[in-house]
Amino acid sequence: MIYTNETRSRIRHRLSVCVLLALLTLSVFVPVSAQPQGHEVLLKRLKALEQRVIELETTTVLSDPETSVKRIEVFVDENGIEHDRQVPNSQRVVTYQRERVFRRQTINEKIEEALTDAERRSVQVNVDAAIVLQSVQQSRGANTPAAGSTYQLASTDLYFTAGLAQNTLFFADIVGLSGTPQDADVEELAQTNGYGARLVKQNDLSLREAWLMTELWSQQLSLIIGRVDLTNYFDANAAANDETTQFLSDALVNNPALGLSENGAGMALVYDPKGVFVIKLGYQQSTDAATNLSDSLYRLVELGYRANPFRLGEGNYRGWYRQDNTGSGLSAYGISFDQKLTASTTVFSRYGANEVEGDSDDDIHYSLGVRFNNGLGFNPEDAWGIAYASSDFTSDDKEHLLEAYYNLRITEKLQFSFHLAYLTEKTAESETISYIVPGTRLQASF
Amino acid sequence: MKIINNFVTTLFFACHCVALVFSGLVLAEQTEKQIKISDPAKVVVIVNRDSNDIAFMDIDSNKIIGSVFLGKNVNPHMAMMSRDGRWVVTGGTRANKVYIIDVATLTLVKEIPVDFAPEHLAFSPDGRYYYQGNPDGDSVSVIDMASLTEIKRIQGFAEPLNITFTPDGTKAYVGNYGAHWVGVIDVTRHELLKKIHVGIVPEIAVLDPERYLEEIKGISNVSMANDGRYLYAADGDLGIVSVIDSREDKVVKVIRVGADPWRAYMSHGGRYAVVANNGDETVSFIDTRQNEVVATLASGPDMMGINFAANKAFVISSSSGFLYVYDMVTLKPAGRIKIGVNLQIETATTDTSAQKLYLASSTDHSVYVIDAVTEAVTRVANVGLYPWGTHILDSKDNYCH
Repeated sequence: MIYTNETRSRIRHRLSVCVLLALLTLSVFVPVSAQPQGHEVLLKRLKALEQRVIELETTTVLSDPETSVKRIEVFVDENGIEHDRQVPNSQRVVTYQRERVFRRQTINEKIEEALTDAERRSVQVNVDAAIVLQSVQQSRGANTPAAGSTYQLASTDLYFTAGLAQNTLFFADIVGLSGTPQDADVEELAQTNGYGARLVKQNDLSLREAWLMTELWSQQLSLIIGRVDLTNYFDANAAANDETTQFLSDALVNNPALGLSENGAGMALVYDPKGVFVIKLGYQQSTDAATNLSDSLYRLVELGYRANPFRLGEGNYRGWYRQDNTGSGLSAYGISFDQKLTASTTVFSRYGANEVEGDSDDDIHYSLGVRFNNGLGFNPEDAWGIAYASSDFTSDDKEHLLEAYYNLRITEKLQFSFHLAYLTEKTAESETISYIVPGTRLQASF
Repeated sequence: MKIINNFVTTLFFACHCVALVFSGLVLAEQTEKQIKISDPAKVVVIVNRDSNDIAFMDIDSNKIIGSVFLGKNVNPHMAMMSRDGRWVVTGGTRANKVYIIDVATLTLVKEIPVDFAPEHLAFSPDGRYYYQGNPDGDSVSVIDMASLTEIKRIQGFAEPLNITFTPDGTKAYVGNYGAHWVGVIDVTRHELLKKIHVGIVPEIAVLDPERYLEEIKGISNVSMANDGRYLYAADGDLGIVSVIDSREDKVVKVIRVGADPWRAYMSHGGRYAVVANNGDETVSFIDTRQNEVVATLASGPDMMGINFAANKAFVISSSSGFLYVYDMVTLKPAGRIKIGVNLQIETATTDTSAQKLYLASSTDHSVYVIDAVTEAVTRVANVGLYPWGTHILDSKDNYCH
């Protein structure tokens, strides 16, 4: 075919128009980002990408997508077909499914996760060790063997905790005590070293507690069963309930009217709906000498109330009643409270009365004191307090105790405290005897 | 020849018709996208960490309207809606980028590279800027919402977490979790202006290197009183809440609270700043009129957030699966709400009428809707993988971990 010049020109013209139209059409469909970029821009972008790859490689674990098994809820219809969402005539079913997620973790996160997981599966061991050094100076009355003597007691608790099932754990406390508390020399009725109350046998390990705890009813009800120390659950006090960090004297750790000196097999029930009321019930064998539980049953009930009177701060108020069928079956009751006055100041008081065999009157015990913490010390986490305790026995014996302490928190695991107690005893048969008992306590928890 | 000419002309005419039809389809699709969310105040924004998307849930029907996938291994941390409801922004912690989503069409419109591990963020009151904290990069990225670009990267922080703008938008306060100071940014110049020292580390700390040198727990957030006058900065290691006067940028009072306070949450009326103390599992109520602690109440482990509704405070105890409830009138405990067993619950937002809470529950991929009055709980399952946080436009309880 031979084209004339005019025809060629027309074809060229039309082709030019076609190319232009094609470019126009392409411009409609091709995204802006695909348009040619400047060489420098591309180089800059490449450099940035290289930098990002370096950053990723240095900070993250380059691994496959994470897989994990998750508990999920699905909906199964009448035909057994599983749906993610509820459909008509379907039932909610709990099942487990592996899931694959695209989550990039740093090396630190991976290591931390593995360590936490290992820790969760293992039995946890904690140690609580204390050394108490006290000197007894007699300030009044005829000299006793304790006058001018120094006493030291070392105590170590080994705690074992293991998670057994959902909201269920096992706990054991093995304690070893060694030393010479002043209780044998001082004819005190209440001990000025609360650790001495735990001394069952010198230089020997003993099983202080071993129990299983489970939480029921949306974790509102705690059930503790095994060898228990009921004083851990009853008559708790925010400012005077722990000989390891607060007052040393036993009268300022527990209400003497509780009258429980030994741990034993038993059970505690704590109903705490996290509202204003708490109810506690418990029983335990009150003496190791008993041959059966029925003959030595110690029962305790407590009602607690949380308050915030006059917007002072939180307060805990409680009343309890106990019965012990050992011997002739004696009972006791008590009330106590701890109330914050400011964020740093807490006042507390206890009152208790216990029946005495063969006497219509009760032994009366009471105590009151104040604790300062939260910045009212040399260091922000230090605490100090002063308290008075009195016991008036039906035998006409009387005992008055004044104790002050300063607890210096050296590190999270180590504390050192100074104590000064003034004890006055008056027995029906003898004159009044007074002691001044300065002491120190070094306590480590880890 | 004429036939060829006519064919070519017809072909190109047809091409244009096809192009026009396609353009029409694209436009139609865009129009269809635009109607996905017509009222941004009626959605709950859900951050799904492990499915790497942002989901949008209808607040009335509790149905997922749609989600925007950000990319693999992005792991978004916190999302926030711009004040005009046009954009949702989020930081992709493991992608070192921020993502900007068009709310109306639910489309990802921009990815902007920033510094390491972008997490917490805040919009300036006028909506012009959005500040993105990059804790691993020790910087704050300034994103211009007009050009959708990072216009500046402010350096000099120490693990910057949450950012709080003053109501007039002239300053922004940055909590540094890796230090014991609050950074003050001049928003006009986008510069770190001051470092407010919140408290003194006790001398005895030198004896406890295990605690003070291994890991630092500084300030995660600076919470502002309703009138903007005072700021409350909790410091984890120091166990304090420092009250900062925003006029002078000076600490005017140091309040001791419980151990390891995470942050202060302001009650809606502004009367109380409630502090979650994770070290001793308590919450401290600070009366903002006296700047004194008026109650310290027992709570649960691993507290992740506090919401306020129906005159109650709801404290999220992450690992226990419970919300601890407190009466804000009597300042007494008021029970707790069980969300589930073996759950890790995260953070929540409250609706604008302060009646419902929307709680993210990561391990069962759900959002729980809690009626603040009746305390009834409704589960919305399968919202995405590992929902980490929720957000509602104009809610008074929009926060992150």
